[in-house]
Amino acid sequence: MRLSSYRRELQNEIKRLIHDPVLLSIVVVIFALLIIFIIFPLVKVVQFSLWPGGKFDPKYFLNFFRKTYYWRPLINSMIVGSLVSLFGTIVAFIFAYGITRTDIPGKGIFRLIAVMPIVSPPFLIALAAILLLGNHGVITDALRLNWDIYGLPGLVLTETMAYFPIAFMILEGVLAKIDPSIEEAALDMGASKLRTFLTVTLPLAIPGIASAMLLVFIRSLEDFGNPVVIQGNFQVLTVAAYHAVTGMYNMPLGATLAIFMLLPTLMIFIVQKYYVARRSYITVTGKPSGVGLKSTEPHVKYPVLALMIFLSGVILLMYGVVLFGSFTKIWGIDNTLTIQNYLYVFKVGGQYVLDTIQIALIATPIGGVLSILIAYLVVRKRFIGRGAMEFISMLNFAVPGVVVGIGYILAFNTPPLRLSGTALIIILVFIFRRMPVGIRDGIAQLQQIDPSIEEASSSLGAGFFRTFTRVTLPLVAPAFLSGLVYIFVRCMTAISAVVFVVSASWQLLTVALLYEVDQANLAAAAAYGYVIIAIVLTAIVFMRFVVERLFQKGFSPIARE
Amino acid sequence: MNDLVVRFEHIVKVFSEGTHREVRAVDDFSLSVARGQLVTLLGPSGCGKTTTLRILAGFESATSGSVYIEDRCVNDIPPQKRETSMVFQSYGLFPHMTVYENVAYGLKVKHVPKAQIKRQVAEVLSLVGLEGLERRSVGQLSGGQQQRVALCRAIVTKPKVLLFDEPLSNLDAKLRKGTREQIRRLQQELGITSIYVTHDQAEAMSISDAIAVMNVGRLQQLGTAEEIYSRPANRFVADFIGEANFLPARIIEVGDGRVTIRIFETEITVEQDSTNFSPNEEVEAVVRPEAVDVIEVDQGDVNAEILFSHYTGSVVLYALKLPDGSRMEVQVANPKERGLLPVGARVGLRLHRKSIHLLKKEL
Amino acid sequence: MKKGLLILSVMLVVFLAVFTLGAAKQVLHIYTAFDADQAEVYINAFMQSHPDIDVKWVRLSSWQVLARIRAEAANPQASLWFGGSNTSHIAAAQDGLLEPYKESLAWQFMPKQFKDPDGMWIGLYVGYIGFVSNTNFLKKVGAEAPTSWQDLLKPEFKGEISLAYPFSSGTAYTTLCGMLTAIGSSKPGFDPEDDAYIKAFDAQVHHYNESGSACITQVGQGEVGIGIAFSHDILKKGIAKGFPVVMTFPKEGTSYEIGGMALIKGGPEPELAKIFYNWALSKEAQDLYKQFYRIPLNPEATVAKGCVTAADVKVLPIDLLWYGEHKDEIIDHWHEVTGK
Repeated sequence: MRLSSYRRELQNEIKRLIHDPVLLSIVVVIFALLIIFIIFPLVKVVQFSLWPGGKFDPKYFLNFFRKTYYWRPLINSMIVGSLVSLFGTIVAFIFAYGITRTDIPGKGIFRLIAVMPIVSPPFLIALAAILLLGNHGVITDALRLNWDIYGLPGLVLTETMAYFPIAFMILEGVLAKIDPSIEEAALDMGASKLRTFLTVTLPLAIPGIASAMLLVFIRSLEDFGNPVVIQGNFQVLTVAAYHAVTGMYNMPLGATLAIFMLLPTLMIFIVQKYYVARRSYITVTGKPSGVGLKSTEPHVKYPVLALMIFLSGVILLMYGVVLFGSFTKIWGIDNTLTIQNYLYVFKVGGQYVLDTIQIALIATPIGGVLSILIAYLVVRKRFIGRGAMEFISMLNFAVPGVVVGIGYILAFNTPPLRLSGTALIIILVFIFRRMPVGIRDGIAQLQQIDPSIEEASSSLGAGFFRTFTRVTLPLVAPAFLSGLVYIFVRCMTAISAVVFVVSASWQLLTVALLYEVDQANLAAAAAYGYVIIAIVLTAIVFMRFVVERLFQKGFSPIARE
Repeated sequence: MNDLVVRFEHIVKVFSEGTHREVRAVDDFSLSVARGQLVTLLGPSGCGKTTTLRILAGFESATSGSVYIEDRCVNDIPPQKRETSMVFQSYGLFPHMTVYENVAYGLKVKHVPKAQIKRQVAEVLSLVGLEGLERRSVGQLSGGQQQRVALCRAIVTKPKVLLFDEPLSNLDAKLRKGTREQIRRLQQELGITSIYVTHDQAEAMSISDAIAVMNVGRLQQLGTAEEIYSRPANRFVADFIGEANFLPARIIEVGDGRVTIRIFETEITVEQDSTNFSPNEEVEAVVRPEAVDVIEVDQGDVNAEILFSHYTGSVVLYALKLPDGSRMEVQVANPKERGLLPVGARVGLRLHRKSIHLLKKEL
Repeated sequence: MKKGLLILSVMLVVFLAVFTLGAAKQVLHIYTAFDADQAEVYINAFMQSHPDIDVKWVRLSSWQVLARIRAEAANPQASLWFGGSNTSHIAAAQDGLLEPYKESLAWQFMPKQFKDPDGMWIGLYVGYIGFVSNTNFLKKVGAEAPTSWQDLLKPEFKGEISLAYPFSSGTAYTTLCGMLTAIGSSKPGFDPEDDAYIKAFDAQVHHYNESGSACITQVGQGEVGIGIAFSHDILKKGIAKGFPVVMTFPKEGTSYEIGGMALIKGGPEPELAKIFYNWALSKEAQDLYKQFYRIPLNPEATVAKGCVTAADVKVLPIDLLWYGEHKDEIIDHWHEVTGK
């Protein structure tokens, strides 16, 4: 009986879908896209690793365990990932604590500095590290130090700086939402500030801290830009896979390395999604509990402030030295100021600037609308396979860029979908790799909006398309905007996946920047970096303007009760 | 010509969570609504009334059974093509649009010419006294005004069926009464067939042509307000609508349209359809608290002792202990005139013959 | 309605931008192993003399070009492979990835040691491997610049050498071929002495780059003490830029490359590629090498003053053909020995 009514319900859902042709076709198209552009490349990676040349042959797979130069990079990546995850979370916690739990001045500025590394190309920080701390760096020379930044120390330093902002954003949210009355209760019962922090605040923040650490670990593991610049002889997995594919054309090896990169990140993704996220003690009420408990005691406040000033100083110094470097004639030898590097960027890289902007301009709106559409379907519509749609569309959150890149060249190099060499393949990489964040934000925002608003629209006769564009989209405008900005920023700054799919016809700025770094043309690389930052900032301002014009007429969304 | 606008036929709705848990939200529900009528679905929360409404609107699909609007089966028709419109509990106003844009939305969808939209919107707004507020953002309105905008938006498109999902539950008590009257007046003037969902029995009784009482997904009784109050179909309806005492009784004799029962030690003849009853049967007599007179000891049908008295000004409600130890509630109107009886006093009770309603004993 | 128009017009502008920038002239796609700043000069000169042709190009290291061509074999994206060590062209020819072009007059006139007998590739220039050392560094450690392959193993140079990965860079593979020839038996391939040398040399290396000439700037800036690269690059990117560097050569003999060019089989623009091919061997094109200290193979082209030629250095008898054909084997063994 139970089973039969379940089946009946399923039949009804199928029937309803068939009778709602617009929804049906959208669901079918999205599923087709997800399967072709997310699942299929991953299948290809596994196929090339275990069935090289069409026959099952686990040679490469088994070699991974047999040969040092196969598994060593994995161990190295794990070491870097663990250290970066630890240090990154500590730095992030200091910033988050300072901003949410103390009354230090200049919070806005600290916040801005803490999220700065997100809008810049990742290896800009590696570049800065070399300029400052390299064997002939500014600080190295000034202090006559004799150290070597290449390898593990450089990797940990640069990736910590590059990825602590992600942890910061999570921890800031978590700390802001801890109800101060819980802490007040502890104080009330006679606990000291420190004791309250250790026994109440910290345990409450632990699920958030765990999430932050796992996320930073994934980011570090899949980082390509920083290692390729600064890894020295400490080879990590992403770079090893890149060499296997671009240097040796050893696709089975590249695919195998990709699998060993994918396994840990997928595991972490699942742990994070189904275990850590469920253990959160903090219930989101939708109303952030305004003023938290602020530490004003000097012995808490000033050490935190001092640490934050120091860390901010390091970040600013890094950006500053790259900016200065971009105006020097020959970095380190002839420091006379010149704009020749920028002229060089536009002369040699002019086409790259145009290509990159065109690709970003196409990928951004498509990716933004698609993410919101998927979020909308997942939250609001009931249809068979809804859970699968959510899972698949979020999968690329955990798939390292290098794996995506290798998957794409394996999957789309031969008919029927021969896309290599086109702009389309780059656009697709951007769209499907960046969608998860847009979808996640869209889901969160939609859950805040009373579904009867959209039901009202359809009960008044508006079809799926009209309801989506006239009602849903304007209501989720903030998530839509942040989705657009995110995708655009990543289009301008990403390297790990697209480095595999750029071609003679379509080149990207980040790839050009990578080349200049590799050529040791540090000044030119710095100039490329700032050109990218300038484009990103301009675009953010522009997009905000357009989205506000299109959708917002000074409304405050009515929150679900 | 068949003038039934809405027909539910054997609607079943099962919500399942996987194959393991399932809830029958609506169970074999059938109902017809004639043109121009306002029918209320009334029941406690979780009785399936809102689900039934949403099945009619098309937001949910029935697991089995069919829904007809003007003789067309709409099971597989999406909401936007059903020509129903709904007034939501939370109003569901478009927060990014003005009052005018909200009301005009449905007309724009139908490609009504601009000038006509303007006229119709003005017309409908004046019906509810919102003229002049067209350019306001809906966020700037009071709750009552928002509610009226939602109503305007729903009726301006002249839907075949107007649906109300607890439209007044977010308003305060005073405002609720006025808006209730306004809804009924508009509905009758415009002659729109309506289905109204509420859990408030007073609201249901004052506004409806007919009330469908629901419980655990099933239709319990369909009738006018008077019918469901005075001739409840079962113990649930009797209990849910107003207050009721259930007294044990035995049937002595069954006549044509009359049943004689023994209740307490007295034989009473009740006017009621007798077809379902047979002599010697144990039944329950529904006695409303207001249908009992409190008199001197030994003067009435039974004696009782006062356990507690709730004095509320206009009435006093006595909780009484009967000789068999069971409890009964009796309401006396205008206590100032009759005097308050102290707790512990022994009194006689006399049942109003015409108000007694017999129910088959439920197992 | 207005909103709709706005969205529509934005989309229109985007698409127009894409298509107008895409269409216009005939386009030739090239993979080049020349450094970007040089490729820019050569290709611009070509476009100036051929205003109807637009060239789109990507700079990749020699073996990266080969990897790319292999990957795209089913669907070639470029028509011409411009520059890079000829060992990589030999490997490509062996894989059947190149298009023969014996009809070219330039090919017919080219001496046979500088071309493939089947017309699969042709030489553009020759280059010799040299050592580049930072003079401040030498002073600091109190050492002379290395003048033999064995000098590179000196303890004072430990962790101070930089060069490119031999599997991605033509320069580094040419260097490796030179080491294998100079050390132990000169028979092509690894012998036990080579193993020991490569292992010891790897321990001296600070880091590897992707591309061959990167180490010169790194040496110039003092990031590392010693680099190994082509002499023309050392002259152009090190000495001519004013970096404090010196160039030396191994006395046992140095390695060399023939910088090559080839048509890619199945490339999308075979005719345009031939136009470029012939232009690249003309005096006009080969004269451009002067400013980058490369030695042109067109005898009519001028050779820059200060260029390193065969007369200046001792050259090892390297079997480039064998090394081109056995690259995968060599690299596998290199991995085994170095553990990288």
